[in-house]
Amino acid sequence: MRTITFIDAIREAIEEEMRADNDVFVVGQDVRGAIFPHTKGLVDEFGPERIVDTPIAESGMYGVAFGAAQEGMRPICDFMFGGFSYVTFSECSVTTGQYHFLHGSQHPLPLVITAGVGTGQRLANDHAMSIHGTFAHHPGIKVAMPSTPYDAKGMFKAAIRDNNPVVIPWHMGIMMQKGEVPDVGDDYIVPLGSADVKREGSDVTVLANSLQLQHALEVAEKLKDEISIEVIDPRSFVPFDMETLLTSLEKTNRLVVVDEDWESGGFAATVSARVMEQGFDLLDAPVIRVTLPNMPVPGGYMEEYVAPNPERIEAAVRAVCA
Amino acid sequence: MALSTEQKTTLYRNLIRADEFNRMMYRRMMQGKLIGFYHPAEGAIAPGVAAASFLNQDDNLSPHHRGHGITHMLSKGIDIKYYLAEHTGKDTGCCKGRSAFHFSFPEHKVYMMSGFIGYNFAPVVGWGFAAKRRNQGQVVMNCSGDGSYGQGRAHEAMLMAQNWKLPVIFFCENNGMSIFSTAMEMHPKEHISSLADGYGMPSTIVDGQDVFAVAEACVEAIARARQGDGPTFIEAKTLRFNEHDIGTPDLSGWEERSEEEHASMREREPVRIATARVLDEGLLNQAAIDQIIEETKAEVQGVEDFADSSEIARPSVEELMDGVFAK
Repeated sequence: MRTITFIDAIREAIEEEMRADNDVFVVGQDVRGAIFPHTKGLVDEFGPERIVDTPIAESGMYGVAFGAAQEGMRPICDFMFGGFSYVTFSECSVTTGQYHFLHGSQHPLPLVITAGVGTGQRLANDHAMSIHGTFAHHPGIKVAMPSTPYDAKGMFKAAIRDNNPVVIPWHMGIMMQKGEVPDVGDDYIVPLGSADVKREGSDVTVLANSLQLQHALEVAEKLKDEISIEVIDPRSFVPFDMETLLTSLEKTNRLVVVDEDWESGGFAATVSARVMEQGFDLLDAPVIRVTLPNMPVPGGYMEEYVAPNPERIEAAVRAVCA
Repeated sequence: MALSTEQKTTLYRNLIRADEFNRMMYRRMMQGKLIGFYHPAEGAIAPGVAAASFLNQDDNLSPHHRGHGITHMLSKGIDIKYYLAEHTGKDTGCCKGRSAFHFSFPEHKVYMMSGFIGYNFAPVVGWGFAAKRRNQGQVVMNCSGDGSYGQGRAHEAMLMAQNWKLPVIFFCENNGMSIFSTAMEMHPKEHISSLADGYGMPSTIVDGQDVFAVAEACVEAIARARQGDGPTFIEAKTLRFNEHDIGTPDLSGWEERSEEEHASMREREPVRIATARVLDEGLLNQAAIDQIIEETKAEVQGVEDFADSSEIARPSVEELMDGVFAK
């Protein structure tokens, strides 16, 4: 297999799906000129009618996607940075999540919301916050986040083909990381709702995604002679693959959940509660969470010790195994 | 654009139907036979009839919430029995009885309702975008009140519709009132349609109590949109005879609306204005009018019978969970 970057894998997914289906299009701000590389050059092939720039008007911009999806098209709405989706949050969370269900489950809303998220750029809260937990709170929206180039291409394709609204942010901290991806034209998808065991182990399970998955894998490698760590990437938050996690806990009996979101009301809390409800008897120790402390994400140099990092993950692993 | 005899007759019949359906909804709310609330449309039924009577089935419509969109939907050819069943929590409802007052008739391109005033301004841009791309003459009728134009998304929709020359009609039913607050207080200029000037969008102001005057403006705007000439802003000056929704006080600002204000409003009752016109023009005689009223009463009765004889929707939580996502 060839090796490409994470962000190029997203670009290939969009490009191939747009070639395959004339109803797929991208709407965003400055996507023609590609403020991020995943839309680079797409306007040359598909034209400004399918790589659509709007004014700085998030409600109207998202409205293009929402209304076009009701009309049977398959839009990809690019918010640039995840936090910008909150400018039109009533539309992209409440109205979107309730559309299918509240109106009698008779009409699909096939659209994709994407954006760059995550710490590591020292940009501070509005450009760095994660959005997966907030969207996962709103029923009717699928939420997923890839961690490798292979998953990025396969999951974006799955999201575009899904008949539901799918929020699929990507982490800026891993955008230039390279990984193996099948050749162009070798069509594949990674189904939404399937977690992936990225490294097998027997002493403790660490659930982590995106940049934090890299951190967890670093820790697992560092401690390999001391503690055997199983690292699971949830890949999807809604639907969440509880079975893979419980199967792992049958072996390890210990869990650390790493989530680059706030501690309060975040996805890590949901996972901890579900494990307590469905797998309490599997646990030899209380679940430990490694999350953002409940402060707006600071920018500058302090980001690196406030956000989850390998040191904090290692400390949590040692604590849960103590 | 002058209306044909057939168009005028259609408008008159739909106006009578809108009036009777509004009375039915008001009565049922008072009788405790509706779920939730009802925002009565008396005095304000002409604009919706005019906006929706000459749309094609594949034209998009976002109805005004006043009268819960019934005025608009029945004029577009939608069978209201499925909506009343919804509003009474029945399993035959258009949203399977789970939505209280929401409507959805995707086959008529009336997709949705939301409790957020001004929600319509986001999706109408997408409907217009899809319509323009398909280039088959489909238009978007975007109905909402003066209050909704306080939303920033109204600006965004007008901006983008005009930028891209989308086939969207911004149809403002200005009854001068939000819940209690007046449009005069909440907007700096007298006419909401003056907003359109900022985008270079053509606009017109019509007497919203005169269904024929409103329809003339609508037919023209629809024709413009169909031939690719872009959006139009229509402001129909109308009146709200009742309180905002049944049970809230009838205030202007924080004071009771006066007897004098009500008396002067009722002189501008849209059915009476239209009836005088059709009789005067010899379009219909009294016998024909009586027959329309009789047929309408029978229609309303049929709608009520359908809703009342349907079963209350009580699906299991599992069944409901199965409907959260599309397959």
